[in-house]
Amino acid sequence: MGNKVNEIKRIVQDTKSLPTLPGIVLKISKLAEDDKSSVNEIARLISSDHILSAKVLKLVNSPFYGFSGRVSTISNALILLGVNVIRSLALSSSIFEIMEKSVVGLWEHSFGAAVAANTIAKILQLPDAEEISTAALLHDIGKAIIKIKLEEDYNQLISIIKEKDISMIDAEHEFLGTGHPEIGEWIARTWFLPEKLIEPIACHHNVKKSVIHKTKTAAVHLADILVKASDFGFSGDDIVPRIQTEAWDKLDLNEKILEEIVQETEDRLIEAKNFSLEIQTSGEKQS
Amino acid sequence: MKNNLRIALISKDCELSSQLSIHIESKGHQVIVFNNESLVLGYIYSDPSDIIIINFQFSETNFHGLISEIKKDCYFGTIPIIGLIDENTHNNIEWKDCPIDDFITLPFKYNELFSRISLAKNRIQRIFDNNPLTKLPGNTSIQKAIENTIGAPMSVCYLDINNFKPYNDTFGFTRGDEVIRMTARIISNAVRQTGDGGFAGHIGGDDFVFIVKNESAEFVCKTIINNFNIIASDLFEEEVKHKGFYIAKDRQGNENKIYLLTLAIAVVPMNTPQINHYGKVAEIAAELKKYAKKFTESKYVINRRKR
Repeated sequence: MGNKVNEIKRIVQDTKSLPTLPGIVLKISKLAEDDKSSVNEIARLISSDHILSAKVLKLVNSPFYGFSGRVSTISNALILLGVNVIRSLALSSSIFEIMEKSVVGLWEHSFGAAVAANTIAKILQLPDAEEISTAALLHDIGKAIIKIKLEEDYNQLISIIKEKDISMIDAEHEFLGTGHPEIGEWIARTWFLPEKLIEPIACHHNVKKSVIHKTKTAAVHLADILVKASDFGFSGDDIVPRIQTEAWDKLDLNEKILEEIVQETEDRLIEAKNFSLEIQTSGEKQS
Repeated sequence: MKNNLRIALISKDCELSSQLSIHIESKGHQVIVFNNESLVLGYIYSDPSDIIIINFQFSETNFHGLISEIKKDCYFGTIPIIGLIDENTHNNIEWKDCPIDDFITLPFKYNELFSRISLAKNRIQRIFDNNPLTKLPGNTSIQKAIENTIGAPMSVCYLDINNFKPYNDTFGFTRGDEVIRMTARIISNAVRQTGDGGFAGHIGGDDFVFIVKNESAEFVCKTIINNFNIIASDLFEEEVKHKGFYIAKDRQGNENKIYLLTLAIAVVPMNTPQINHYGKVAEIAAELKKYAKKFTESKYVINRRKR
């Protein structure tokens, strides 16, 4: 088991980049043809994709630029890197050859969680709404690593989940000896992402563990649950976990406000679904 | 020369690539080979190499787009580019459009190539007067750039950061350096985004200069101020942001109210008879800056006097 964990750690350390959906890259390349294309539009597209966002944040926080791991949102990254750099970075991304259901599902789950987290931040009037959505967008980056870099293990996990009717994270601990929050934390550290993003990634299944960024972690935890409860996207299993007491307390939730959040999230996920279909079909047209 | 350079090799000739790789790797360097140019930029941006070698053989494009894209960026522009060029063709190259640092003719001797690599690496460190912190051009280049625009419909803009010194004293120079680097990036990106050249330089400390066309000047100032405000607000705690100031002790130990970081920009259009030499620009800018600094928020002031 220990060997497996070490192997995963090694794989994470060697991971320089991950492939993304062709639809997103295609949309960005169309925007890029138009030289005066809106910066905000490019930022919006990148913010919908967990892989591209991670890539952009990795670059802007790399020691080369000397911002010492301080940049935690895509809009700030765009200001500091400049449109040209972001554009070339997006356009040179490797893309998936085949649009597998599980890849699209995980992308949708991540994007949906970002939408839900943004709604939570707005309704609860939390500071740093964009940071919270970015953290939610990246919360399952560990699963992307398993899916892309440990394909066979991923398939095993999916059959264990079906067979035993357990959650992804339980299956991971049983089969890999570690979980996607830890794997996500390792890649986030390897890629110099800021602590504000690392903690929610590492603790979204165990809010109690979070130390400094508890509110952000609690919001991401709740967003993950809401997007699963809405049956939006696919994150590996269909089990909707309970909202942890720590998160409930930290966010100062009550039934009424939760209902408002759920309602608003549902509405915004409908828009998100349309966007997702657009991305999926434009990706197909290309191939 | 440090022994383990990372060298990006761009060449359509696979045989040459593999031979070259073996020789370079035998010297302890690392080689990353690209068969076409499409993936190069993204790679250079995400994981910059120390040297770029481009094989110009069999290439109609001459890689102009790629080279100018790299050289235009103040960070990546310092990476030396060496061209491998056919003996008979280097006369035909328009070097102005092809800003590489050195070339070597094919067929070449490996020893010569290694010396060229070493030379290019050292030369770039020697001749650049770029500020080591921001990689922006320094005073020699700034003076030249300003002198070249006298009389032209261009604006020379002097920028500095208000309340930078107390920020540096309170939070330490590491955080201060970060602010300087961020400001440099914000300025050079905004200037570059206008799409028609322009110049961004770093005088030193929190003083910067940028030059843009008169008609773009206001837009660039607004973009810089707007982007700076977004980035700078992230540097402070929620409570400080809300209040708009923090309390810090000065050198005498007195407690002072320090306002957040803002910018003051003095914009001097160069096509007026009033401006006839380099010194005059700085003099006018200093006056304008004094006015711009009277405000607690970021401000740009344009010189409107014609005499």
